[in-house]
Amino acid sequence: MRGPARFAEVVEDWSRQGGPFDPALLTAHDEAESFPAEACAALDQWGLADHYVPVPYGGRLDRLDEMQALLRTVAARDLTTAVAHGKTFLGAASVWTSGDSDLGTRLAGHIMAGEAVAWGLTEPGGGSDLLAGELTATRTGSGWSLSGSKWPVNNATRGRLATVLARTDPAGGPRGFSVFLVDKRSTAPGTVRHLPKMPTHGIRGADISGVAFRDARVPAHALVGTEGEGLELVLKALQLTRTSCVALSLGAGDHALRLARRFLLERRLHGRRLVDLPHARAMAGQAVARLLLAEAVAYAAARAAHEVPEELSVVSAVTKALVPTLVQGQLRLVSELLGARGFLTEVESYGGFAKIERDHQIVSIFDGSTWVNRGGLAQQLRLLRPGRRPAGPAGRPVYEWLREDAGTAALDPSRLRMMTRGDTLLNGLADLVSRRSSEPDAATDTLAPRLLDAYRELAGPLSRVRPSAGPPSTEVMRLAERYEWCFAGAAALGVWAANPSRHGRTWWDGGDWLRGCLTLVLHGLGLPTPDASAAYDQLCERLLSGDGTDVSLFGSRAGVPV
Amino acid sequence: MTGIDTRVDELEARLGDPWDPDNPAGFAAIVAADEREETPSGGRAVLDDYGILAEFVPRGLGGRLERVDHLVELMRSVYRRDPSLGLGHCSSSLLGAVNVWTAGSEEQRQDAAKLLLAGGKISCAFHELAHGNDIGSVEFSATPAGNALMLNGRKESITNLDRADAVVFLARTDPAGGPRSTSQLFVPVTGIDPARARFLPRFRSVGMRGVRLGGIEVDGAPVDRDALLGPTGTGMETVARAFQLTRMALPGMSTAMLDTALRVTLRHVRGRRLYGRTAADIPMVRTTLANAFTDLLVCEAFSNVAARSLHVLPASGSVYAPAVKYLLAGVLLDAVEQLSLVMGSEFYRRDGEHAVFQKTVRDIKPVAFGHIARAACLSAVLPQLPVLARRAWGKPGPRPGTGPGPGSGPGPGSGPAPAELFVADHAVPPLDLPGLSLVSGGQDGLALSLGAALDDELPGPLRPLVEAQADQLASLAEACAGLKPRDLSIAAPVAVRDLAARYTTVLAAAACVGVWRHAPADGFLARPEWLVAALTRLAGVAAGSPRDVPYELEGGLVDELLDRERRTVGFGVSGRRYR
Repeated sequence: MRGPARFAEVVEDWSRQGGPFDPALLTAHDEAESFPAEACAALDQWGLADHYVPVPYGGRLDRLDEMQALLRTVAARDLTTAVAHGKTFLGAASVWTSGDSDLGTRLAGHIMAGEAVAWGLTEPGGGSDLLAGELTATRTGSGWSLSGSKWPVNNATRGRLATVLARTDPAGGPRGFSVFLVDKRSTAPGTVRHLPKMPTHGIRGADISGVAFRDARVPAHALVGTEGEGLELVLKALQLTRTSCVALSLGAGDHALRLARRFLLERRLHGRRLVDLPHARAMAGQAVARLLLAEAVAYAAARAAHEVPEELSVVSAVTKALVPTLVQGQLRLVSELLGARGFLTEVESYGGFAKIERDHQIVSIFDGSTWVNRGGLAQQLRLLRPGRRPAGPAGRPVYEWLREDAGTAALDPSRLRMMTRGDTLLNGLADLVSRRSSEPDAATDTLAPRLLDAYRELAGPLSRVRPSAGPPSTEVMRLAERYEWCFAGAAALGVWAANPSRHGRTWWDGGDWLRGCLTLVLHGLGLPTPDASAAYDQLCERLLSGDGTDVSLFGSRAGVPV
Repeated sequence: MTGIDTRVDELEARLGDPWDPDNPAGFAAIVAADEREETPSGGRAVLDDYGILAEFVPRGLGGRLERVDHLVELMRSVYRRDPSLGLGHCSSSLLGAVNVWTAGSEEQRQDAAKLLLAGGKISCAFHELAHGNDIGSVEFSATPAGNALMLNGRKESITNLDRADAVVFLARTDPAGGPRSTSQLFVPVTGIDPARARFLPRFRSVGMRGVRLGGIEVDGAPVDRDALLGPTGTGMETVARAFQLTRMALPGMSTAMLDTALRVTLRHVRGRRLYGRTAADIPMVRTTLANAFTDLLVCEAFSNVAARSLHVLPASGSVYAPAVKYLLAGVLLDAVEQLSLVMGSEFYRRDGEHAVFQKTVRDIKPVAFGHIARAACLSAVLPQLPVLARRAWGKPGPRPGTGPGPGSGPGPGSGPAPAELFVADHAVPPLDLPGLSLVSGGQDGLALSLGAALDDELPGPLRPLVEAQADQLASLAEACAGLKPRDLSIAAPVAVRDLAARYTTVLAAAACVGVWRHAPADGFLARPEWLVAALTRLAGVAAGSPRDVPYELEGGLVDELLDRERRTVGFGVSGRRYR
């Protein structure tokens, strides 16, 4: 069976001159705003789409961390391609979430045959406000008739299939929408029309367009789940997709660090090597810490999807708000290091950086923006107060299910919930901190205890958060941001505690990555970090060493079971 | 066209309504030109008709350049429209010209003036990719050969190099190296033997795409010896004086990009309904708008004051110029990034009426590294910290009832700044570029003015904030006084660099306090609210951890912003009428 370990090598091979991932070819597509068809075809041929289909439907999607590793590998070469291809998983997610096995099996067949699936949520002028959707579906005979537009939508034109959120109750409301799986080939001529491609700032080659329906008839079995269930299905599916698509940020971070590393090693200024300048080292080290912390959060979230899916409404919101933001900050640091080379698009093959930056900015916009996710977290904050009695019986401790070789329960969308009543990861923080403090090298390390203090200080403010109808106040949004940082710190400590067998290995020995990540977390919480430059300096040293070609906790080539 | 108000009004009238889709100098034409990697011809024509380059020529040479703050103010009208036009068609010539004004002979100055007044371009060919900001290490050389100098080498990523009428080169004249090993040359393009020189293909860029970045490879081209600007070996000295002006002025002009980003964002949120209300009512949107507005005021207050300092406190430009560049670059980039969160997916569009936003996101990037990078700015401030700490900052200002402060202190130049540093309409001494100092010698009237503000009239809500800045300065004084030369090199420890970075926030705070204290009594700038907001934001910058403007001030700031937008008035310090 092919696994990601092999996949990384395959993609690297494709990236050679003349290959489907040849940077020159991908740059040319970006310039011309043409679809990276060669790269997507190569991914199709390899069978990446099989990984978008859960095992019960005959596909290979077994674990979300594996899905992340695959998307990260593609994104590390070309984020546009990862967005263009990975979109099918997003388009299909509401069908997997519904648990409808007939529909699922039919969709699985299409996907594994190479058909792209779009996800029609957004409407012109509607943005993230799903309740404002005006595309309607009305019963006609045994089936349904769709009228209205979805735009902008990824793969709207190229995708033969689309899952579409439609208003089925004219009054709207939380039970007023339903999801339909539309096969555009089965609709009558003239009832489905494509809307033009939107010229975008980044991912210029992707098919960001739209689709308009005019009395388009779809059969009864196109309804996903039940009538009125649409919004819930979409919001639950988003929990899965948000957890997965942050891998795009990790890939962008990988790509940027490759360029930064090369630049640091070859650049000289004022008769010195750039790597000998402390401020450059601190910036590079912080860039590394940002990527590793992002990876720890993404990894913990992927595991949580299997282990505590009931909490994914919080976990996915934290992850989607924080990971792209961490990587955006990482790219800012790399941009400052590269200077003019990050701005000029054709100099010494650093030109790719400007494209990474443009492309990456979509990750914090699509699938719910940073603010939408933070707002979603804010709505649940009062249920997440530190010290609140756990909602249910305690499951496996965090340091067990975050183990690299831990078995994972099968993905079970029926366990997803709209609201979360507890946060297993942060509830375990005190335990994780005391485990860390008992390690010989960490006895004097105050980072983890200070994180615990900061988390406990959230108890008061969180207990005062009141449910609100409208968008949350700035104060509550800032609390949510602090909560995200605490979550990230717990993720890093959890990953550390769960994997003692790695403590002596590349990127783990000496605990430098953990110190760098916790430093970053405390800084994010606005706390003083007097030893930050020393911590980042260590990470920079590793970036420059032979290990620096693969900045990752679990490795993009190995680690994910085949 | 004499006064600055008349000149700005005239220029604005010619530029026309930016939102008019048929305006050849409007946002639609500008975005379309950017897609073609050009500046809009309509915009160029407007600027040529207006005679924009005369703004860069000193009055004594027939131009309109008298005050640096006015130059910045006027150019904001251009940058607000299109920074590519601003840099590519205008201020790139300033980069070369200031060196001629600073070190050129009377004949060279006349030649440069004539050239600019006729609408010609001067290119500033200092940069080599291999050396970046380390321009002292340039390899491009000018070697004496009889009565000529022989040019050899490459210059890369140079604005307008293949379109210029004259070029100012920075060239190595002493292969042995050292501080006096480079010289500047002012060369008419016709003076370079085309058989000995090859223009490099255009360097393409992700932002400022309308700006033509060129390069040249010269293989033994002779130029006249009298092309030298000043004596041989003074290349870096001239840079150190002349670029004080541009390192303040260019970031100062760049604040107009934040003005545009704010304007587009307001237009977007006013027109957008989400969750049953307009986006302008969403709390995070309001906070972000209030923060960005405050940031713009901070940046303009600091850069305006610094621009005037070249007239009023000319000894301190070697510190204030890199401080302005460092602080503005960080604040402007952050502010535009935050506004992109408000824009949401609309930020990502290259079509529609908000397309100029994504262009602004790309265009603002060079503020961090163009001309001089942020890191190099701190490197320039660092060596001056100990003497500033010992001679200027050690004196705490008056607290209520403590009697006279440093205002009545020792000799001239060592006291706090006079009022004309902070207001736009007081007369200032003439600009004397050759007279600018290479180092400040510990003179820092701007920072000292903080102490002078701590008098009995300081309103209650402001007092703790201003005191915090004075305390910050005192703690910097303590930390910097004993720094050793080895701590102050390019390889300074990060903690020492942080001192320099914190110092830039104190200077910006002092500028804001001064602008508030000397503002006309009934105007917006005389109200304490914006200053409380500004000092709060600056404290966040100093701490490396952003702070929102106080919640109770947010509403007033957003109302002011919306009101200015309705009246098409600039969001910055001058609050000038825009088209």
